[in-house]
Amino acid sequence: MAELNEQQIDLISAYIRQYGVASDSLHEDLLDHVCTSIENLMDEGLSFEDAFAKTIKLFGPGGLKQVQQQTFELITEMNVTMKKVAFVLGLTSAILLLAGTVFKLLHWPGAGIMVVLGGGILSLGYLPMLLWHKLKESEKGDAPMHIAGFVGLAGSALGVTFKIMHWPGAGIFLIGGMAFLGIIYIPIYFFRKYKTSSNKPVTLSAGLVAMTCLIMVFALININNSAQMDRALLLPKNHLYVKAQGIRDTDFAKDGEFWKAASETVTLLDEFAVEMIMRSEEVSSAEASRMSILDLRRRNDHRTPHFFLFDEGGRMSELVEVLKRVNAASEGLATEGMFAYEVDESYVLYGESLDWASYHFKNVPLTSVLSQFAQIKLDLLRASDMVAHQESIQPAASGLPSGS
Amino acid sequence: MYICLMYSNELIKGTLKTIVLSLLAKHGRMYGYEITQHVKEATDGKIQLTEGALYPLLHRLEAEGMLLTEKVNIGKRVRKYYSLTDVGNETSGVLAKEFKDFSETMNQLLNNFLLNPSYHG
Repeated sequence: MAELNEQQIDLISAYIRQYGVASDSLHEDLLDHVCTSIENLMDEGLSFEDAFAKTIKLFGPGGLKQVQQQTFELITEMNVTMKKVAFVLGLTSAILLLAGTVFKLLHWPGAGIMVVLGGGILSLGYLPMLLWHKLKESEKGDAPMHIAGFVGLAGSALGVTFKIMHWPGAGIFLIGGMAFLGIIYIPIYFFRKYKTSSNKPVTLSAGLVAMTCLIMVFALININNSAQMDRALLLPKNHLYVKAQGIRDTDFAKDGEFWKAASETVTLLDEFAVEMIMRSEEVSSAEASRMSILDLRRRNDHRTPHFFLFDEGGRMSELVEVLKRVNAASEGLATEGMFAYEVDESYVLYGESLDWASYHFKNVPLTSVLSQFAQIKLDLLRASDMVAHQESIQPAASGLPSGS
Repeated sequence: MYICLMYSNELIKGTLKTIVLSLLAKHGRMYGYEITQHVKEATDGKIQLTEGALYPLLHRLEAEGMLLTEKVNIGKRVRKYYSLTDVGNETSGVLAKEFKDFSETMNQLLNNFLLNPSYHG
C-alpha cells in the first residue's frame, strides 16, 4: 500500500488551509481523508499528482471552502439552549406588552415599565436572535431582505413603545420601521414567494392583505393627524388661542390686587405656553411664541406639559398661587362668580382623588393645556374689562383701592 | 451536491444521519474516509457520501454529544475515529426503526396505488 511522505502531506495540508479551512479539527479530518484517498488511488496505479487532482475534484463545486461553511452552519445552528432562550424572550415580551397595554387602558400603575421592558426585549433581544438565525439558515442573497425585515419590525416595535410612552422620536421609529417593512421587506418576500409558489393567486392575495394591514396600522397611528380631526377638534380652540395670544400686551398697569394678580397670571400663562412649545417642538422661544395650536406637530404630547408643570419643572404651583390671589382679589368686585378657578376643590377620576391642577392638567395633551390657558387668559381679560367699566361709571363703589 | 448520483437530494437529505449512525452502530469506530468507502461499497455505488455532506454532519453529531472521537497518529498525520456515545447508540436505534417503518409504509402505499390504478386520478 502506498504511503505518502512528509513533504506530500505538508503540501496537502497547506492546500487545505489555503482553501479556507480554518477550523483545526476539520482540518485534521480533511487531511486524513484526502491522504487516504490519494493513497488508495495510488494503489490503483495513479501518480501522486493525478490522485491528488482526482481527490480534490470529488469535493465538488465550492470544494473545501464549502465543507467548512456547511460544518459551521450545522454546528452553529440554533442549539437547544438558544431555542429555549429565544422562546422565553419571545414569550416574556409578548406577555409584558399585553399586560402593559391592559394596565395602561385601565390606568393601573406599572403599565409604563411593562411596556418599555416588553418592547425592549422584543426589539433588542428576540428580534436580533431571530435575524441571526434567519441569516444563518438562509442563502446569502436573502440577507438584505432579512435585515430589512428586522430593521422594519424592530423599528416599528420601538416606535409603538415610544408612542405608548409619549417619548420623543416615536414618529421617526414608526415611519422608518414601516417604510422598511412596506417598501423593502414585504414586496421582496412576496415576490420571492410568488415566483416559487404553486398557487400564485393565493400568494398574491396574501401579499396584498399584508400590505393592506400595514397601511391600515399606519393610518391608525396617524389618525389623529387627519385634517378632519384637526378641524373638528381644534378650530374653536385654535380660534380662542389665537385671540388670547394677541392680547399679551394688555394694559394691566392699574393699581390694586386684582389687576396685579391678573396681569401676573397672564404673564405666567404666556411664559408657560412658550416654554412648553419650545420644549415640545424643539424651537427657539421667538418661534414658539409665534406658533399656534395648528402649527404644533406633537399635539398629543403629554410628556412635556407633565414634566414642565409637575414632575421636574413643578411650575404648576406658581400658577395655582396667582390664581388663588386672583380669586381672593375678585371678591366683592363685579366679576365675582364670573370665573371660578376652584383651585382648592378636589376631583375624582378613575377612583382617584385629584386636586384642581392634576385634574385639569396632568396627563393632558399639550393642545388641551394650551387651550385651557387661553381660556383662563380670555376670562381674565373679560373680567378686567368689566372691572374697568364698572370703575369708570361707579368709581366709588368699585371697591378698588384707587391708588391715584 | 448532497450525497449521491442515483437519488434526489430531497430523498436522501433526511436519511444521512440515519446512515451514518447505523453504520457506526454496526462497526464500532470508523474514520471519515472509511465511512464514505463503506457506504459506496455496500450500496454498489448508488449512494456516495461526499465530504461536503459527511464531515459537517460528523462535527455536528459530535457537538450534539452523539459521537466520540479518538485520535490516532499515523505517521505525520492524525486519523480521527468516530464512535457512538450511549445517546448516539440510542438515537441510531430510534432512527433506524423509524426509517424501516417509514419505508414499509411507503411500500404499502405505493403498492396500493399500483394495484388500484384509478388512484392516479
